[in-house]
Amino acid sequence: MKDKIVIGLNLKYYYYAMVAAVLTGISVFLPYASMDGKTVTILGAAMQAHGSGVDIILYGACYLSIVSAICAVLLFVMTSRKGVKLWQCIHAICVVSWTLLLFASRTILESAGIYSKFLNTHLSVGFWLGLVASYVALIFIMKVGETNIGYVPLTIMGVIWLFPILWIVLTAFREEQGYYVGYFIPHGFTFNNFIQLFSNPDKLPFGRWWVNTMIVAVCGCCINTMIVLMTAFILSRTRFKGRKAFMNILMIIGMFPGFMSLIAVYNILKGLGLNQSLLALIIVGAAGAAMGYHVTKGFFDTIPKALDEAAIIDGATRFQIFTKVTLPLSKSIIVYIVLGAFLGAWSDYIFPSMLFGDRQQSYTVAVGLYWMTDYRRIDNYYTQFAAGAVVVAVPIVILFVWLQRFYVEGLSGAVKG
Amino acid sequence: MASKKNEGKVIVPGTPEERNFVTTFTKGGATSKLSYVILGLENMVNGQVIKGLLFLWAEIVYWFFMFRSGFSMLAGLKTLGTHTQEMVLNEELGIYETVPGDNSMLILLTGVVAIVVTIAFIAVWLFSISSGEHARAQKAAGRHVRSFTEDVKSLANDNIHFSFLAIPVLGLSVFTVMPLFYMILMAFTNYDSEHQPPGNLFHWVELENFKTLLASSDRLSATFWPILGWTLIWGVCATFTCYFGGMVLAMVINSKGIKGKKFWRTLFVITYAVPAFISLRFVATMLGERGIFNVLLEQWGFTASPLPFLTNATWARVTVIVVNFWIGVPVTMLMVSGILMNIPAELYESAKLDGATPFVMFRKITFPYMWFVTTPYLISNLIGNFNNFNAIYFLTGGAPNSLDYFKGAGKTDLLVTWLYKLTKDSNDYNLAATIGIIIFILSATFTLVTFSRSGSVQNEEGFQ
Repeated sequence: MKDKIVIGLNLKYYYYAMVAAVLTGISVFLPYASMDGKTVTILGAAMQAHGSGVDIILYGACYLSIVSAICAVLLFVMTSRKGVKLWQCIHAICVVSWTLLLFASRTILESAGIYSKFLNTHLSVGFWLGLVASYVALIFIMKVGETNIGYVPLTIMGVIWLFPILWIVLTAFREEQGYYVGYFIPHGFTFNNFIQLFSNPDKLPFGRWWVNTMIVAVCGCCINTMIVLMTAFILSRTRFKGRKAFMNILMIIGMFPGFMSLIAVYNILKGLGLNQSLLALIIVGAAGAAMGYHVTKGFFDTIPKALDEAAIIDGATRFQIFTKVTLPLSKSIIVYIVLGAFLGAWSDYIFPSMLFGDRQQSYTVAVGLYWMTDYRRIDNYYTQFAAGAVVVAVPIVILFVWLQRFYVEGLSGAVKG
Repeated sequence: MASKKNEGKVIVPGTPEERNFVTTFTKGGATSKLSYVILGLENMVNGQVIKGLLFLWAEIVYWFFMFRSGFSMLAGLKTLGTHTQEMVLNEELGIYETVPGDNSMLILLTGVVAIVVTIAFIAVWLFSISSGEHARAQKAAGRHVRSFTEDVKSLANDNIHFSFLAIPVLGLSVFTVMPLFYMILMAFTNYDSEHQPPGNLFHWVELENFKTLLASSDRLSATFWPILGWTLIWGVCATFTCYFGGMVLAMVINSKGIKGKKFWRTLFVITYAVPAFISLRFVATMLGERGIFNVLLEQWGFTASPLPFLTNATWARVTVIVVNFWIGVPVTMLMVSGILMNIPAELYESAKLDGATPFVMFRKITFPYMWFVTTPYLISNLIGNFNNFNAIYFLTGGAPNSLDYFKGAGKTDLLVTWLYKLTKDSNDYNLAATIGIIIFILSATFTLVTFSRSGSVQNEEGFQ
């Protein structure tokens, strides 16, 4: 094999790949599980299993391992690029089967009537050897095939990351009500949870909450963006006495935990006659918006000063520089702020919850959804909570994915060389 | 400071010398001196009548306010009220009636308002003096003195900082500085659950709260120190797990030969885009005793009985760090992706020619570069995590509660969530304020370290 060269293949690792694949094949004949003195091999289990839908995992792990081992030997004799790619595909499915077997063994073995009260600690040497060897083999096969092995961790992480999201979506469409269910995939699917959210304004005024949040988000978005842009512009593009002092004061204020003073804000709003109204939420949001000038200022700092100077020579006022020079160059940072302000309104919980208390009609979505997950209500509202979460999250996710580029640019703009 | 600046300065005869706040008074004429008392007089004399009248109007309004209510507000701060609300027998009707006493909370709040108004007036006062002096100097040198319309026009040009910063400054003063000031003062009172106005008065106790919280041997300090310890451990673990996790993820996605980079990035961004309170609340329900995780683990044959993800102190602490990892990695991944693309590709190429393995390249090229660029981000992230209210509150709410702790505090509570509980559930405002100040000291220490080290702050004009 050492003197063999095939274009597109890295045969240095072929021996490792072959040994690992053959080991995977052998492990099929080793003890799969042993419990109460009764031992069974994977092959044996595959022969006995019948009926339940998950058996296909066992068949996959069993037969594909053997096929993969045969592939390894065959390709050793007649190496070709296409052959290795095919082997890689077969083995990838084999690895998936082995991994799923870790989760499905109990169901398979119990439904086949081999064991009862099975735990994964009863899995035996053959299984663990097969699982590890199959992963090792996959990595070496990918190395031989010059495929980036990054796909393996990415796939595993992707599944883990999406698992809770998937559960939210499945729960939102679940027909059976209640918090506790003993299975992952719902037995029935329905749109009812969504309909209930909007059709029951007395008990569950979700539509009202949604509109409230939308109002706050849109107003806050416009006002906050203007304030942040203006503050950042002044602090970045102009020099005046007290500028440093102003920035230092903002920094010091920012180091106090924000909701420490919420009770005082609440009293002030009460004094102004604004308590329990959406307007209060917008005003307080706008009042604190200037604190978030940092990223934007960093972005403005990267715009060449020569542009401003040229404009001044042409007789432009500072205000014109702001509207005609700086803003047109700042599309990505504007999107970044708008998106941030918009999302902030949807997920802000602490202040609205303190402001509105038990006045349900003025709740925002965040407060309302939190209210639904209280332990006294969770059994009644769990599926509706999931549906509400989907209603809130879907537009945001779409917006976010669509505008992702700007978000990255905004985040890294300040440090870009 | 100002006098020091003037020391070495040679004053050229014929040009008006610069006067500062003190010398305007000592060297100025009668109108200059008078304008310290009658605001705007200097402006009026030197042709800026409307501006001068505006200053004068501000002064009148201020003194009107002070004499009508301001002074009594300030005086109230001294005692925070003396009359307790009591029940008095109304002999005509033969029943007890409540006679309202002083409300310490309102006295403190209005006192703070009076102080803030006074500070604002002092700012106007100083501004009027320097503005009057400027007008005088311009006139004395025979230069043009700006008219009122010109002044207004300059708000869109060289004085744009006044117009642009007006709203933020006003908003911050009313809704951030004033409340903050109020809460800081509260840390020096005994405004706790047993001294609630209007029924009871509270009064100044100096540093008593800090002493009981930090150094007494009772329950409070037995709660404070463990919570502080956990806050620090949590901050460090949460920051660094996400930092390295995100970095590795970004490097894998950005490495050569991975197809569909955008797809992978989007996949992870989805968890970030779902508002945190939703995903955290949901994960919290999933981790419950009858939650889907325990159900599945049993079904899959991993455990025979439910795992105490959120009910056992150690389990809960590990769980919140792991869940925070799930939430936090995509953010770091997004940020790091941008920076990774800025590392010159030649570095990797030449390293590869020299036979460096990917790990060596990470250790010698990627990591030093990232570390250099992201240190400020990392430290501000650390502070952010010390104060990461959402992750704890939505996930565990501080639970599991502990009997060793002060009422309501739990084993996963951070200082901020404890502060919130003290404010909202038990109304121990003095303790909450004290903790707030301690958090401030903690953050300030870390921030000072960042700002003294960070190049991008010291060198803010580097790119211009």
